[in-house]
Amino acid sequence: MKSQNERRRTFLLISIPILLLFFGFNTLPLIKGFIYSFTNFRGYGSYEWVGWRNYADLFTDTRVGNSYWFTFKLAIVATILINILSLIMALALNSKIRFKSFLRGMYFIPNILGALVVGYIFSYIFTYILPAITRTASMLADKNLAWIAIVIVCAWQSIAMNTLIYISGLQTVPEDVYEAASLDGATGWNKFRYITFPLIMPFFTINMVLCMKNNLMVFDQIMALTNGGPAQSTESISFLIYNNGMAGGQFGFQSANAVIFFIVIVTVSVLQMRFLNKREEQL
Amino acid sequence: MAGLSLQHIWKKYPNGYEAVKDFNLEIADKEFIIFVGPSGCGKSTTLRMIAGLEDISSGVMKIGDRVVNDVESKDRDIAMVFQNYALYPHMTVYDNMGFALKLKKTPKDQIDKAVREAAKILELEKVLDRRPAQLSGGQRQRVAMGRAIVRNPRVFLMDEPLSNLDAKLRVQMRAEIARLHDRLGATIIYVTHDQTEAMTLGTRIVVMKDGIIQQVDSPTILYNQPGNLFVAGFIGSPQMNFFEAAFNGKGLEAGGIEFALPDEKAAVLREKGYTDKIVIAGIRPENVHDAKVESLQKLTAPFSAKVNVFELLGSEVLLYFDFADAAMSAKVGQGSRAAVGDEVSFAFDMEKIHVFDKETELAIVH
Repeated sequence: MKSQNERRRTFLLISIPILLLFFGFNTLPLIKGFIYSFTNFRGYGSYEWVGWRNYADLFTDTRVGNSYWFTFKLAIVATILINILSLIMALALNSKIRFKSFLRGMYFIPNILGALVVGYIFSYIFTYILPAITRTASMLADKNLAWIAIVIVCAWQSIAMNTLIYISGLQTVPEDVYEAASLDGATGWNKFRYITFPLIMPFFTINMVLCMKNNLMVFDQIMALTNGGPAQSTESISFLIYNNGMAGGQFGFQSANAVIFFIVIVTVSVLQMRFLNKREEQL
Repeated sequence: MAGLSLQHIWKKYPNGYEAVKDFNLEIADKEFIIFVGPSGCGKSTTLRMIAGLEDISSGVMKIGDRVVNDVESKDRDIAMVFQNYALYPHMTVYDNMGFALKLKKTPKDQIDKAVREAAKILELEKVLDRRPAQLSGGQRQRVAMGRAIVRNPRVFLMDEPLSNLDAKLRVQMRAEIARLHDRLGATIIYVTHDQTEAMTLGTRIVVMKDGIIQQVDSPTILYNQPGNLFVAGFIGSPQMNFFEAAFNGKGLEAGGIEFALPDEKAAVLREKGYTDKIVIAGIRPENVHDAKVESLQKLTAPFSAKVNVFELLGSEVLLYFDFADAAMSAKVGQGSRAAVGDEVSFAFDMEKIHVFDKETELAIVH
């Protein structure tokens, strides 16, 4: 009996502090944010209840609308690009090549660097190195091209993790299935289309969902590269929430934006899972 | 359908390991050839070289009249059944079987006809729309066979196809494969480590050890006239008894007893210069008799030994005993009243004794 009490005490000792921390820094702000979304709080001073007005305003605010357009454009393009490239990378790194482990390690490095650090490095490249080579103005200064620069940086960093997940997926396919397929006449594209891809479908699902979610929440890269500019052309939703909520005196309004954004991300992820799971085969 | 010709085939790995050494074999059309041997003997490697899944280090391989050394698997017109079946888990049974034809851009109605025909032969008609995970082991095995049949290949390759099935199913599928061979009139190359499978299925058996062919013969010849000690010990269960004996010109002396050899056998030994030399004698358990039960005239020189183990097999009894420093077994009729610890009088059927050279381990006389 003593040991059972001891186990319970250890359990409480470990879980209570975490529970408090989680509540204090996650749950409480979430609830407070939700409450503030019904006020005209500016981040300081006094405030009043405004009911659903913030939510109504969200749908007519062009800046919010533009940020949604930009964020989804970026997330969709980046997700597709990342998944295509990391699949190709995974196939290459899973083939019988020399220095396979070394190369896998090398290609994983982007993942362990901080997004801000990567952002600043690329900012330097886009601002000084690339223009010097192409003899044109920086991409970051062009409001039609700046978003592409952000896609490139997001992709460069995310490919590492996605490649790793695809490699582990490829390793679940038994070698003799490939051998049977090659005897049946499946080579190259056919082998990928009929054998490899269907068999790593579960990994494709998880990659698509995680990647989409991460890209929708893009923030650090924008802080480092464009600060939302030029001409607010690269303001992502997260960036707008932070920028205008904290520094722009729209704490209440952006809280409402955050609540809606939360619902949007959950909806997108659930829809993706539904759609992709349907295509996943019951193995 | 076609025959195969393997000439001086070698498989050497980059680390110097030689898995298959100078493999020579002509396989006739419609033959059922078995590669048998202990694990690591190179039988699977040889099969995989025929399939094109492994490169041939040196030598010439022909399917029909065509040299296929550098021909890709898919263009060799062969089908293979894998040990773990290697079914496509995401496809239905129907799609698994029709996959090769689909890739060949065969018209849909022809695929349908071929698949349904194979399904009928293999009694898979009711599970055509299921996935492999929903099938039993036996059914999966059949789908793997079906996938091969549908393609109507020149040669069927089977790599231990029954080793994942339980004993009862294995016997049943064994019979089915034999039936299939008759029905399709196909050339089949079949790898197994199970000598019962080898003996019951093959028209010819290739016994391998350490990458080298030991003997190629029909099951009957392999059993009755094994070419060397290894084959003699490998084929047959329980395995052949071996003991060292001295040849005195007329008979074999072992354990202080002289066993008179039939004249023709003694003559061969004398002719080959084995007089007064030590040889290895081999006798199958069924040729060691309980002298009390089977008091036949031809059983000479009975000797007595203590029974160590008694095994009732049903219709027969296995008695284990020691003789001339060797552990031996005798398969005797149920009439034997022997029990563990009993002194039993045994006798060899000397007509059935095999004699091997002690150095080369090759058979001298059967």
